[in-house]
Amino acid sequence: MSSISKPNSNLTTPLVHTKQHNRALLSHRLVQGGILLTLIWKWSFFVAANGIYGTIPLNDPFFPGWLQSVTAVRVAFVTAVAAVGLNLSTNRPRLQWACSLTALLCITVLCIHQASYNDMTFVTAWWASLWAMWFVNHLNDPNQAKLLRRASFLSRLIISLILLGGASGKWTAEYWSGEVFTDIYFKDREFWVFQWLRSHFEPEQLRTIATWYSRKVVLVETVTGLGLWALPPRIAAVLAILLLSSIALFSNFLLFSVLFALIGLASVGLLVPRS
Amino acid sequence: MSCQVSEERDYGMLVIVTLVVTIAIWLLLMPVVPAIASATLHRFHLRTSSFAAWAMQFPIPAMYNFANRYKVDANPVSLESSPETIPLDGRMVNHFPARIFTFADGRYLHLRHDEDRWLTIESSYRGQGLRTHFHAEPAEDFGFNLRRLDRKSETQ
Repeated sequence: MSSISKPNSNLTTPLVHTKQHNRALLSHRLVQGGILLTLIWKWSFFVAANGIYGTIPLNDPFFPGWLQSVTAVRVAFVTAVAAVGLNLSTNRPRLQWACSLTALLCITVLCIHQASYNDMTFVTAWWASLWAMWFVNHLNDPNQAKLLRRASFLSRLIISLILLGGASGKWTAEYWSGEVFTDIYFKDREFWVFQWLRSHFEPEQLRTIATWYSRKVVLVETVTGLGLWALPPRIAAVLAILLLSSIALFSNFLLFSVLFALIGLASVGLLVPRS
Repeated sequence: MSCQVSEERDYGMLVIVTLVVTIAIWLLLMPVVPAIASATLHRFHLRTSSFAAWAMQFPIPAMYNFANRYKVDANPVSLESSPETIPLDGRMVNHFPARIFTFADGRYLHLRHDEDRWLTIESSYRGQGLRTHFHAEPAEDFGFNLRRLDRKSETQ
């Protein structure tokens, strides 16, 4: 029986709080905290979106009716936030399991709903929720060091996949030339990096900078997408946290909504015992 | 006993690893297998053959993928005067270009006045391209009806 689909009987047995169990519990909370931040980082946007979806419905036969419903997206989002919030605060294994499953299901709905399918916030939250679903099922395993090593490996694998997904779609001339980022970021994006660059460089120089900015993104995503999973846990964790944070700090603060879940996953590597 | 079983036969971990490896192979093949790129282009344009086939691709990460352009018109788009051999004269968007109508900010920007709007989106990747035309027309009672205009416009 899959350990994703049903709680183990050991979920009912509280574990003696060893140092390593505390690390596992902290890992669980860091990931839940990351998912929660991911979901609420753009809170003001989602509040505005809630009104827009209610006043401007868009009937598209491609989507099933309930996946165009503003009620469905509201319920899925609020329930996911509540489930993750409760998961963050409870110590009861069965409740942790139920919250993890609820969040995973609600975020799945958000990933395929007309109003939210395009938002990568929900894709990274989904992967972190899948990891959490697996992890809570093992939270009371007797060999906690082994659990943390496995948890860290899975988290590295997921982060690598997300980065590889970004990289493979950029292996095209329009990104290597910088054409895409020129239009999206360099031309008129109001963000401190691009505003500063526009005020200090001529358009031709900006175009060259955009080219190298774009190539840097393609290369970094490619290298980390292909290799992060194979690094030792702590090195991978530090590298991933720095890289993911830098993506938002140097291109768009709103991207933290996509990245917090991954930063939470990455931090699990810091808690793997050194032995 | 159950703890030992859960550690020795970790099917949950196996499922996740299998899913990750499968998607990684899909992503690595995308630049060299046109069918995979085409499937993703159709995914981006909400033109996959069925909703189920589209929805099952949601775990595949696709941040800032492809060169996606869009253009919104207040007048009807003539498909004949919009040949796909000429690149679309529009702005870039990071991914899922149909978001210009489906996502909240674009929906507010372009559809808040309850008037007809035509959206053309174009995505390209390593020589492959896909252009799709949408017409958002005010519904009789409330909101808009979204229609895809007929012409198939995939280039390779």
